[in-house]
Amino acid sequence: MERIVLPEIENLHNIDVYIANNGFAAARKALLMSPDDIIDVVKKSGLRGRGGAAFSTGLKWSFMPKSTDKPKYLCINGDESEPGSFKDRQIFEFNPHQLIEGIIITCYAIQAKSAYLYIRGEYHKWVNLMETALETAYARGFVGEEMKKTFNTDFSCNIYIHKGAGAYICGEESSLMNSIEGKRGYPRVKPPFPAQNGLWGNPTTINNVETITNIPPIINKGWEWFSAIGEPKHPGTILFGVSGHVNKPGVYELPSGTLLTDVIYNYAGGVPGNKKIKCVIPGGSSMPPLRGDQLEGIKMDAESLRAAGSAIGTGGIMVMDEDTDLVKVLARIAKFYYHESCGQCTPCREGTGWMLKLLNRIVNGEGSQRDIDLLLSVANNIEGNTVCALGEAAAWPVKFMLMRFRDEFEARVSPHINLEPKNKVHSMRHTVNPIDKVEI
Amino acid sequence: MPKLTIDGKEVEFQPGQTIIQAAATVGIDIPHFCWHPKLSVSGNCRVCLVEIEKMPKLAISCATQAAEGMVVHTNSEKTLAARKAVMEFILINHPLDCPVCDEAGECKLQEYTYKHSIGESRFTEEKQHKEKRVPLGPHVMFDGERCISCSRCIRFCTEVAGDTQLTFVQRGDRVTINTFPGKELDNPYSMNVTDICPVGALTSRDFRFNSRVWDLSATNSICQGCSKGCNIQLWVKANKVLRLTPRHNQEVNSFWMCDEGRLNTFKNINAENRINGPHLKRNGGFTRVSWDEAFSAAISELKGFSREEIAYIGSGFATVEDNYMLAKLAKTVSGTKYIDAVPHLVPGSGDAILRTEDKTPNMLGATLTGMQGGKSIEQILQLVSEHKIRALYVIDEDLVSNYPQFAEAIKKLDLLIVHAVNENATTQIAHIVLPSASYAEKHGTMVNIDGRIQRIRPAVTTIDADRTLDGLSLSRLDKFGTEYDRWGRSDKIDARPTWKIILGILSAFGQRSKITMADELFHEIAENVPAFRGINYDTIGEQGVVLNINKTTSVYGEKL
Repeated sequence: MERIVLPEIENLHNIDVYIANNGFAAARKALLMSPDDIIDVVKKSGLRGRGGAAFSTGLKWSFMPKSTDKPKYLCINGDESEPGSFKDRQIFEFNPHQLIEGIIITCYAIQAKSAYLYIRGEYHKWVNLMETALETAYARGFVGEEMKKTFNTDFSCNIYIHKGAGAYICGEESSLMNSIEGKRGYPRVKPPFPAQNGLWGNPTTINNVETITNIPPIINKGWEWFSAIGEPKHPGTILFGVSGHVNKPGVYELPSGTLLTDVIYNYAGGVPGNKKIKCVIPGGSSMPPLRGDQLEGIKMDAESLRAAGSAIGTGGIMVMDEDTDLVKVLARIAKFYYHESCGQCTPCREGTGWMLKLLNRIVNGEGSQRDIDLLLSVANNIEGNTVCALGEAAAWPVKFMLMRFRDEFEARVSPHINLEPKNKVHSMRHTVNPIDKVEI
Repeated sequence: MPKLTIDGKEVEFQPGQTIIQAAATVGIDIPHFCWHPKLSVSGNCRVCLVEIEKMPKLAISCATQAAEGMVVHTNSEKTLAARKAVMEFILINHPLDCPVCDEAGECKLQEYTYKHSIGESRFTEEKQHKEKRVPLGPHVMFDGERCISCSRCIRFCTEVAGDTQLTFVQRGDRVTINTFPGKELDNPYSMNVTDICPVGALTSRDFRFNSRVWDLSATNSICQGCSKGCNIQLWVKANKVLRLTPRHNQEVNSFWMCDEGRLNTFKNINAENRINGPHLKRNGGFTRVSWDEAFSAAISELKGFSREEIAYIGSGFATVEDNYMLAKLAKTVSGTKYIDAVPHLVPGSGDAILRTEDKTPNMLGATLTGMQGGKSIEQILQLVSEHKIRALYVIDEDLVSNYPQFAEAIKKLDLLIVHAVNENATTQIAHIVLPSASYAEKHGTMVNIDGRIQRIRPAVTTIDADRTLDGLSLSRLDKFGTEYDRWGRSDKIDARPTWKIILGILSAFGQRSKITMADELFHEIAENVPAFRGINYDTIGEQGVVLNINKTTSVYGEKL
């Protein structure tokens, strides 16, 4: 199986190794094409954003206004702040030049002269690695004014690395732009969308690091090649960050549509102690969790996961075995979103704290049946009513945990009822009764 | 014009208008905290969420532009559910301390809680605690727990006052408002944040704990702080003015006023040094006399000076009516050409927002009614020092303090008649002191720097004022005849509007007039002064009218 984003080439972060492996050939090729042709190729390739929403990359680029006097900007989102997500830093560390090349091509395609690479504040090491790589690329004339000579073209662009200050919300694209502008990391009200009114009020495109790293191979090998990899509706490879109760946690680049069970058992080495799986969050902590007995046959791509009642998100797969206390898990997730709510809009600012307070009481055995209903109601009141998607990010885990694991919560608030937890685990060894056949 | 449908009503809108604006044009008030017509849209309170057909989610009406054919429901089941949810969220960490909160009675949160909330909370946890009683600046106090983080105050400072002095700090429900390190909220317009704060988070340090707002009466008036003539309301309890607030007038001051005007133009009304009743100087001391006695004393003294020996000093602090009557008095009794008003220019005190360098509210009005815009005042005082002018008639000006270099000369005058609201250096040396009603105690008109004539109205009663004829507004306390009833129990000053005092003098001079009310006098002015032709109190109304005058003509003979 071919790896596109993280190829198995030693020392690929070294620019000489990168050049020796066809590095910057795609940029050379792209700069001879028209920007519209590049956008067309990316559209046809079917590449979809790897930052969570899985939106068509080529389509997003085509939203950039063609005739405008304003400068255009590209932002690369490397904030990677979703719990369970740790894929972009692999690119910063092992394949930075392919990212740089992707940025150059994208800048040309959308006719941006400046690109901002926004890297998560806690990624000190990776900011340094990326800065070193970028300096080298500048020194070798692949970026900046010098690239005109290198590529024998009129086009040049600059890349700036911007380090975040550690706020989850700055991974949200409009907060990210505010953060770059030096403002408080508050999401903006949309519309207007970044393509109309982005950085400093100018047309801006924002793409995820992994998305952009896919661009050079698409240019090199053509859209037909790319669109044939994995699931046709969500083609290419995806970096799956597997964490939690697995023997070999890590980042795995696999074709989209790979079975979730394959990712867990064949690549991540299965569950320690050969325990059963109770719960898997397939796309980072804000995505709806799946029950152990729902996992069979689920493919890892946007459409299949949506059909299964979850979402691909950032591909951060969190595996929880049968002994996991999901009430505690949810309280911890709620604590994260409470801590990270920016406080701009009412439902999220007030609701995240309320949910955490309720969950903490339930965890401590001080909750009641009423608290569970209230928790669900609060989550529903946040969802859809906020400025940005953090509202959903905070509400979904609560809503879907309660929907799919309600008996665990019920048992916690009613200690006098000794409910044997229903078997909702998945196992490679045997299949258990599906939950819908179990009476609650 | 394009149309959309709001709650079944077809509404025409201007392209670019948002739903909340379009709705307002047909009287549909969509609840809102953070949206303010004169500030940028922040979209953070979420209480204005409405259902729009064919949109998957509810949308905030403050940020969503109206579009042709759009169908909006502001009271549908989904909208109401979201509104109630947002209200519940806003209230969970709010201290609900209305009984001790200054905002109570004029609090948007309180109003919406009654209107749009379910009336009880499902929140049983400990509330989030924050800083309370934080002086953000010299005039504004902050209560972090009451704050609903709507950001109106932050946006006001940046967008209107032009000085980013406030910011959010912290995140989530720990968010609070603060100034930058070592800095204060001290811009010249800082107190407007107390007006636009939809809750009691930002309160006036000058007014807080002075009164429940529902015990106050509000009277429309004009600020006396400078020639801008900002529209204001005077808030009165027990016959005392307790605060001023700006009143909306898009042509003059929008929703704002400066702190200087708000704080420094009403305290003299309730002051200890008010002049109470007419006084004559006898044997080196003042004797309070009756009005009739004062009038005959004044007229018999005035008759003793020739046109070259007497001057009349009007005032930009007095109304059009007052200055008109002064000019009439000068003409009728003395026939003198020595008549002018005192200029009060403070260079550098103006800005491009509201404040002007001319600190009088009505210099233009005084000039239009006979004063010379300060052009001859120095000449008059020079003649006083040469003892050629031996008598002065001064209304509402403290000449001695304004012209200390002429203080000795003024002291040597053979006659000094002064109308004044408060005791001052000039009243001390006057021979006849006539107590004039303050701007809060009379009807009148003033012309601002842009040639707009506007009305002032009585809010405080004097012995002379008539509650019914003068149309004074009532507070709750007045209505029920409590011990704070301003008519029944209050100490009332014996003062009269300057125009009325002069009417009395003219009457003693033998020139009787049928005029008893300010609006009747204004009819006479409108007939005699071209600038006011065709205007009356009704046409001036609440927002004023612009006079048909050559506005490039400066009041002071030079460009302001």
